[in-house]
Amino acid sequence: MLAINPFFLAVGIILGSGILPLLFLWRRFVLMKAVASFGITAGCLIGLIDAILKLSHGVDWASSASYLHAFRLAFHMDGLSAFFLMAIFLVSLLAAVYSYHYMDDAQKTIRVAVHYLFFSLLVASMALVVTAANMITFMLCWEIMSLSSFFLVVYNYENDGNRKAGYLYFIFSQVGAMVILAAFGVIYSHAASFGFEGAAALPETAKLLVFVLAFIGFGSKAGVFPFHVWLPHAHPAAPSHISAIMSGVMIKCGIYGILRIYALLGWHTPLSGYIVLVAGMISGILGVVYALGQHDIKRLLAYHSVENIGIILIGIGLGMVGVAAGNPVMALLGFGGGLLHVLNHAIFKSLLFMGAGMVLHKTGTRTIDVLGGVIKKMPITGTTFLIGSLAICGLPPFNGFVSEFMIYIGGFRGAALGQADFALSLLAIVSLAVIGGLALACFTKVMGVVFQGEPRSRAAEAVNEKGTSMITPMVVLAGACLVIGVFPGVFAGMALKAAEALQLGYGRVPLAPFMQLTGNITLGALLFFTVLVSILVLRIFLYRGKSVTASGTWGCGFTQPTARMQYTGSSYAGSILEFFGPLAPLEENHPPIEGRFPAKTYYQSHVHDIAERHMQGVIVSPVLAAFDKLRWLQHGDIHLYIGYILLAIVVLLFFV
Amino acid sequence: MTSVLLFILAILLAPFYSAVILKVKAFFGGKKGPPLLINYYTLVKLLKKGSVYSTSTTAIFKIGPMVSLCAAFTVLMFLPIAGQPPILSFQGDVILLLYLLGLGRFFTIAAAMDTASPFEGMGAAREAYFPIICEATLFMILILFYVITGELSLAAYFSSGQPAGFWQAAGAPLLFVVLALFIVLLTENSRVPVDDPATHLELTMIHEVMVLDHSGPDFAFIELGSFLKLFFYATMVTRLICPVTIGHPAADLVIFLATMGVVYVAVGVTESVMARYRMDKVPQFVLTSFALAFFATVISLEFLK
Repeated sequence: MLAINPFFLAVGIILGSGILPLLFLWRRFVLMKAVASFGITAGCLIGLIDAILKLSHGVDWASSASYLHAFRLAFHMDGLSAFFLMAIFLVSLLAAVYSYHYMDDAQKTIRVAVHYLFFSLLVASMALVVTAANMITFMLCWEIMSLSSFFLVVYNYENDGNRKAGYLYFIFSQVGAMVILAAFGVIYSHAASFGFEGAAALPETAKLLVFVLAFIGFGSKAGVFPFHVWLPHAHPAAPSHISAIMSGVMIKCGIYGILRIYALLGWHTPLSGYIVLVAGMISGILGVVYALGQHDIKRLLAYHSVENIGIILIGIGLGMVGVAAGNPVMALLGFGGGLLHVLNHAIFKSLLFMGAGMVLHKTGTRTIDVLGGVIKKMPITGTTFLIGSLAICGLPPFNGFVSEFMIYIGGFRGAALGQADFALSLLAIVSLAVIGGLALACFTKVMGVVFQGEPRSRAAEAVNEKGTSMITPMVVLAGACLVIGVFPGVFAGMALKAAEALQLGYGRVPLAPFMQLTGNITLGALLFFTVLVSILVLRIFLYRGKSVTASGTWGCGFTQPTARMQYTGSSYAGSILEFFGPLAPLEENHPPIEGRFPAKTYYQSHVHDIAERHMQGVIVSPVLAAFDKLRWLQHGDIHLYIGYILLAIVVLLFFV
Repeated sequence: MTSVLLFILAILLAPFYSAVILKVKAFFGGKKGPPLLINYYTLVKLLKKGSVYSTSTTAIFKIGPMVSLCAAFTVLMFLPIAGQPPILSFQGDVILLLYLLGLGRFFTIAAAMDTASPFEGMGAAREAYFPIICEATLFMILILFYVITGELSLAAYFSSGQPAGFWQAAGAPLLFVVLALFIVLLTENSRVPVDDPATHLELTMIHEVMVLDHSGPDFAFIELGSFLKLFFYATMVTRLICPVTIGHPAADLVIFLATMGVVYVAVGVTESVMARYRMDKVPQFVLTSFALAFFATVISLEFLK
């Protein structure tokens, strides 16, 4: 039975192609890469097709096996799992293709082989996390996911910063897992079983506790403010296709966890919605503000993940409020929009990370302000990055708009409710508007400074665009952005099917009113394209037979401009950051120009993340101080250590 | 059919109305000013010319003007002019329109950044900044309109006598909305006191500096696009300050066009009697619009119930 199940077949192939290179093929670099990347691709493809088929046919499927004779490993796939599986397999598939040319350092054969092992483990464990049907299975897969991604983050472990990023991520994921475990512990203490089914019967207060604990635990994986601190460190450290997976789908496992717990608890109070909404708004706005202040393109994208997680949470929060208020349309728009944004963000964020990876690969730098004019040498990367930027800003006719549109409409429905629902929906709508505007500022900055203009350094001049396996996934993803943006009907339908699995008590969702919404988006997009093509034809007509000449940029009378005079990313974002000063303290270091013969000067700026800043004082220092006091426990005497073990066993005997 | 005719009329009239502002400013300056048809002459002149492209630019530079004009055209198709229903309308079209204008803005900025000019970068940074607050204001106003009408489309807000319904439902706080919308109009269309379209110093410009390198038909597209955008915002303000419809299309059109004139004159007067704010004061000015819209919404929805 196990062998013919396409899902396990996919997971098996992925795992096999990860293990195989390390065992046999590591001497043959190219062959090893080809086998691993092709194998993972094939496995993901099977999984992707399976997930899409299951989602469209609505098949509920379960399977379980005994593990270590003590536990049962149980798996269950419903619409929600299938939806997440679709995103996971899609992004992993393209990342595996991308990795073939990206991992081109033949000196590090073994390291690349090890990387493929953890890559396959990460993909497989993510797939298993979203199908796990009891606590043991879930935590097991969750831990494999965290650990394998940890090893991928420290891929370039020679770099001090990368090691630090890895440890930070490790600590966050372990503490997060501990909090999730505590949430499961509360469920277990009431239900006395490792199954999830008992959660619905919990008393109200226990449900609140479980929800809050789970929200913190899963939120720290998802990158919800203020638990996002690891994210901007870990994403830049990892190889770019791993960043794409981590940012595109791994952090979504946190969202999956929140949704799953919500469904299991069946706790339809407005309070859960308010918690999620407020967390979403804060993450959304602060994420994009910090992103705006970054100088490192991958760090910037990492902060955008915080922002998009915020948008997803706003959608989910509105959905929860809608459920509590007995407003099914609002609930489905919120959940559907949030879920669709999960898929959309997976697509455009992995596209953007791959684009950034291409730039990093060819120029060797991630610093925005030393790049420039890259699009001329990398037309495909530049164009697809532009499409990704438009999509992440939520602009029509691309996919980001569709999900934000659904969330907006859900928000407006909420604004028509009374009192607290009104206030929070109002804030949600305004936050979405502000996030959209800030994202636009941020991505015009990235496009303008990295891809457009003139190269600011030699590194940015000597670039080319090679590596078919790196270009193809970007083109596919950019195409997906456009297709979902113009024809969102099918995809919104999938998101709504996934929302059906949340047990909101609405039974089968009538899709007609939602299809009308997405139909309108299609209408708007097609109208836009029609007008655009007409203008294009008009333009061609107007320019027929006219003289078109090339010349330098008008320097406003200045005749000797240099590329270094261009507006930089820092100057572009400067005034907006000043506006958000209290939330994003800007530290500048700039010795003034003095005297008749001024010395060389410089300008440095750094935007502080208030969560990171206060984490040091509020958490790190007290914890360190507390552990310092416990130092006497670690004396190095082996006899006493054995004594500890004995003591622990004796104490346990009393309790168990 | 009427709506298509009105749509074409709007495109034809938009340059004229923008010239009204110039005339008003000339009047305040004690000058004769350019003729009222100046913008048509400019457009025709630009369309006849060829173009010079900077060697720094890419295809984005050429796409920019097309997208911004396209966004303006599309938006206008959803706008009820003179109280008549628009060409197209659906639930949620307002959100699409605001984001389409955002798309136009993205490409205008991208085209400016394409030239590698520090001045254009400066303008672009400001163009990216101020509209963020405008969008918040507009969505705040939308919430008010949505709760009153239960609809999310421009047609439901500005067709026939509906704007009068807003006055009945919200009362005096709607004055705040009109004022907020007027501030948004000034900001989004780069008018004084946010931006000075007539200044001769590139450093102090926002929109004008961003399009420095455009020439010929490309520049004509940009100019026409900005006339249309101003027309779009002015129509909304007009319908709010003059919500009445008699029922006879021709008479309604006359009233509408006359009130539009008043709005444009108001813009001209504002430009004549005010100086441009210092750049770091502009956000405060724009934030005023948000505060006004916020109070209008909260007061009329929560306290006047």
